Amino acid sequence: MCQTGGTEGAKEMAEKLESEGFNITTVIVPEEVCDNRVMKKDARNIEEELQHTDAILTLSCGLGVASITEVLSNKFPLIPVFVGTNTEFMGMTERIGRFYMRCQGCGDCLLNETGGICPITTCAKALMNGPCGGMVEGMCEVGNYEKDCGWVLIYKRLKQLGRLDLFSKLREPRNWSESGHQREVVWR
Amino acid sequence: MTEAKSYSKLGEALAKGEFILTGELEPEKTCDLSHTIEEAKQMAPYVIAANVTDSPLGIVTINSMAATHLIQKATGLECVWQMTVRDVNKLGIAGMIMGAQALGIHNILSLTGDHTAMGDLPESKPVFDLDSATLIKLVREMVDKGSINGHEIEDPPKLHVGGAANPNSNPMEPEILKIGRKAEAGCEFIQTQVVYDLDRTIEFLTGIRKYKVPILLGIFPMKSYGIAKGFDTFVPGVSVPKEILAKWKSVKKDVTDKKQQKELYDQYNYDLFKPFIGELKRKKLIDGIHCMAVHYPRIFPKLNDIIRG
Repeated sequence: MCQTGGTEGAKEMAEKLESEGFNITTVIVPEEVCDNRVMKKDARNIEEELQHTDAILTLSCGLGVASITEVLSNKFPLIPVFVGTNTEFMGMTERIGRFYMRCQGCGDCLLNETGGICPITTCAKALMNGPCGGMVEGMCEVGNYEKDCGWVLIYKRLKQLGRLDLFSKLREPRNWSESGHQREVVWR
Repeated sequence: MTEAKSYSKLGEALAKGEFILTGELEPEKTCDLSHTIEEAKQMAPYVIAANVTDSPLGIVTINSMAATHLIQKATGLECVWQMTVRDVNKLGIAGMIMGAQALGIHNILSLTGDHTAMGDLPESKPVFDLDSATLIKLVREMVDKGSINGHEIEDPPKLHVGGAANPNSNPMEPEILKIGRKAEAGCEFIQTQVVYDLDRTIEFLTGIRKYKVPILLGIFPMKSYGIAKGFDTFVPGVSVPKEILAKWKSVKKDVTDKKQQKELYDQYNYDLFKPFIGELKRKKLIDGIHCMAVHYPRIFPKLNDIIRG
């Protein structure tokens, strides 16, 4: 969807690597690389090629690297998986080619109090009680006043909803006690 | 705010409702504070306390708590330790507050701080674990309840805590509501960002008066045309009105004698701020003045005249 890889991108990268002298054993486009179950099925289809593979290059986000490494860990533990992209963020899609960071999956959600706009993501300082003095004419000091101040967006939205009472609330600091280590969700 | 406990001269003046003058000292990227100490000595007869800045604009300087302590020790001038939440997490700040008490620091100004990306070490990790309101709340818990998140402090600190406000803020309403949060957190005084627009300042101060926190109005007397121009260009959200810049420029251009130039700048500052402050005092919108003109201590006798006049 982000077109960091896809059929064309993968093919283009394979050609580039070949021109650099690499031998490409196979090129695949898994349906959903970060879902271990789907990835396992795709990996089974290329087991023959993997026997002769020294390294895997993935054009997915960082989750893809983790998923492929995990899926191959039993049968092909010695194949390193490299990442060919720099994962910027897990974004919202406006349309193809326009993606915006709107959630960081922080594990301490306060969207119900902020009109659905996340201050952890849209405020450059991730403040719980903004705006700060770096806001000028509704814009943020970080990035040369080209991006909206997240807290002004929150103010406008809450005003529109008639809920400035929520804006006026003094919020406690974010709770990091559960965020500072590897997180997992296991419910079955 | 719990009543009538004063831990500092500033706290005492606030409690008495005196009209207050505070100054500002800006230690630089150095371990030698002699220039700052000299400035502190010059302003000491006129101010009740002086703020000591914490790496303003995100440009790293000597640590503000250490500088506050050393300036107080060398001059006897009481300081307001500026602490931003930019560089230290909650655990670190709580430790510093106890350290500040042990070093004889009794006023703290809680600030967010300019983002690391703005300064000279943009690769630094921005912390912002607390924010300017929750730092105020933390100080008040430590002082009033003698605890940190409910954990008892054997010998708690005794500090007064203030916050900042920006009357130039546009839109203004979210800034006003934010001051409400700071008041709820226990803010004992407000020092505002520098102002030049009287109407806007009146509108803002009227908006925050309901929170009943003493307000020290931020002003910036301009020592020279170069300083005025630089301030106009580099300080986010504050612009010096064109007619003022033109007036200051004329001094630089038309007056060749350096001594005369100085006298004229001083006089123009007096003429600019006397009616401005007078009007706000008359309207009972301010409880004092916070002069942020660093490296310009000779202006203090004139400011003192304005305030006492």
